[in-house]
Amino acid sequence: MEGLLGGFATVFQPATLMYCFIGVFLGTVVGILPGLGPLTTIALLLPITYKMDVTSAIIMLSGIYYGVAYGGTITSVLMRIPGEASSVVTCLDGYEMARKGRAGAALGIAAIGSFVAGTIGVVAVSYLSPPLSRWVLAFGPAEYAMVMLAGLSLVTYFSSGSRLKALLMAGFGLLLGTVGSDPLAATPRLTFGVFHLTGGIDLAPLAIGLFGISEVLSMVLRKKEKMQVLAPPSSLLGFMPNREEARRSVGPVARGTVLGFIVGLIPGGGAVLATFLSYAVEKKLSKHPEQFGKGAVEGLAGPESANNSGTAGAFVPLLCMGVPANAITALLLGAFMIHGVAPGPTIMERQPELFWGVIASMYVGNVMLLILNLPLVGLFVKILDVPRAWLAPIILTVCLIGVYSTNSAAMDVLLAVMFGVIGYILRRYGYDLGIVILAYVLGVIFERSVRQALAISDGDLGIFVSSPLTITFAVITAVLVGLAFVPRKRAPGPADAAIAAAEVSQVK
Amino acid sequence: MTISGARWTALGLFCAAAAALWQATKLSRWGFDGPGPGLYPQVIATICMALALLVLALDKGDPAPVATDDDEAVARYDMAGPQERRTFHLYLLALAVLVAGSWFAGFIVTSLAVTIISMRFAEGVSWRATLITAAVIALSGVILFGWLLQVSLPEGPADLAFRALLRHGGLL
Repeated sequence: MEGLLGGFATVFQPATLMYCFIGVFLGTVVGILPGLGPLTTIALLLPITYKMDVTSAIIMLSGIYYGVAYGGTITSVLMRIPGEASSVVTCLDGYEMARKGRAGAALGIAAIGSFVAGTIGVVAVSYLSPPLSRWVLAFGPAEYAMVMLAGLSLVTYFSSGSRLKALLMAGFGLLLGTVGSDPLAATPRLTFGVFHLTGGIDLAPLAIGLFGISEVLSMVLRKKEKMQVLAPPSSLLGFMPNREEARRSVGPVARGTVLGFIVGLIPGGGAVLATFLSYAVEKKLSKHPEQFGKGAVEGLAGPESANNSGTAGAFVPLLCMGVPANAITALLLGAFMIHGVAPGPTIMERQPELFWGVIASMYVGNVMLLILNLPLVGLFVKILDVPRAWLAPIILTVCLIGVYSTNSAAMDVLLAVMFGVIGYILRRYGYDLGIVILAYVLGVIFERSVRQALAISDGDLGIFVSSPLTITFAVITAVLVGLAFVPRKRAPGPADAAIAAAEVSQVK
Repeated sequence: MTISGARWTALGLFCAAAAALWQATKLSRWGFDGPGPGLYPQVIATICMALALLVLALDKGDPAPVATDDDEAVARYDMAGPQERRTFHLYLLALAVLVAGSWFAGFIVTSLAVTIISMRFAEGVSWRATLITAAVIALSGVILFGWLLQVSLPEGPADLAFRALLRHGGLL
């Protein structure tokens, strides 16, 4: 409790509060804009945070991550367009509610459910993190290596496209992480004689290229269409659900919160999977499953809550183990590392103001989002009027600033453009680029753990299956990797198509 | 027999992994104190080569667009109309200018050139609107990022002249 109060003291400093607001505001905007996802935005802003204080930087970037979940709801309900992948399910019943004249109630239920779930999720993060950190402290290098391997396998397993391609992308992410000086012997590796690569490939050109530039290339091939938007309510009272809608929302919000948080803890699970699971659970439990897809309140309240608590849950493995659960938390891990902070079990003792500051900022950020989202929904919808012609040069200029500022090197701009073109081609052929970033960020820690473990065992691979914990993770990895070679039997349904559509525009 | 784009992509990934393996084999696998710098990249590159070969063998080629998946269909180069392709090519040109400009021309000229190529030539926006937007983007970049946030930007003659102007006005 003392730590959390210290965290609030950090957040309520005017500058930190301002960065928290900038983060959640940008997150909402990004969630609304189809085509700009949290990954792209965090990648673009990452280099700009280099000169910021580490706590403010992480608070702002985290705000973008959980703010996106709120913004995505607005376009899902009013336009049937998911601003980001975790809002896909909201389109099904949220839009139908809006068509029946209940747009305000749909937005209100989503915002209140998101606030409740987000806040409970953060409370759970604050109480779960200390004991989990103490447990992780007992891990040796072999345990760490196996946790990361199992985490990567889970991410590839939950990938929406071909699992084999996802595994290949994980491999390439790990390989890209080896470019540059060897972390232990300082020998240059895989530099192909290019001096600039001796320092390695920085996260900024890789992430900005794969997400920012490839997104611009993908965006320009789409037809320009005027979007149809259903009108949001003009007064605050219009967002209030009626008694019946409120009564039907309570159970789904509670279940969605718990389910979302648990799924969020699992690497690869994240908010997208949480929303789909919540939708399936609510449909199964409902006395009127036939109403789902036609404006069922439960089909909106459950997934929206799961979405937000899943986002909070993803912070637990990041902060306590230094293992990101998805590509976005991988970028946050990258941000920590750029600032010389290694998240993990010791962060609570070494940098309590940072750890508890981030947690406290999530409480504050959720309140800001609730205040921002209901009264300003009409204003946010206007953002959709910004045409591509204006958006693209702004993104390209921010890409240039973000990439160049990392090392003041034009070579990084060349690398970013190369990764952008490669990223566009890979996305075109169904490769999940989020996994590349996740594996790239994990690669450094993974290699160090593997090499330390092998040095301890004098090259005996048995060290990776020498304890019940490592055996468990090895079995999980083996099963998941094995499943990558089994073709998916299920034919793609409308939900898969919707996810694919969202991913093409967002790259989650 | 023609090779599909999907297979070309897998082949490209295979070649990239093979090149990485070739580089990694020059490094030692084991040293006196444990694993050497070459062991880990060699193992990962070999796994990548094997996976790329599997994708190459199992990928059925370019999938037909899904009926409900409009976004994906229009985001594909081969399915885009002549206008979208022309726009795409001009954006590729803008990216080339972005790289060359950051090397030789500095931030102001590069951002002006990229905005003009993308807005005026690729998107067909009027000259007036393009030039105003280009100027706003370039100035915002210099003032917000370069001056207020102290972010390092590429420097060219225009940037140096702008800075001299600010210094002359007592703002720096």
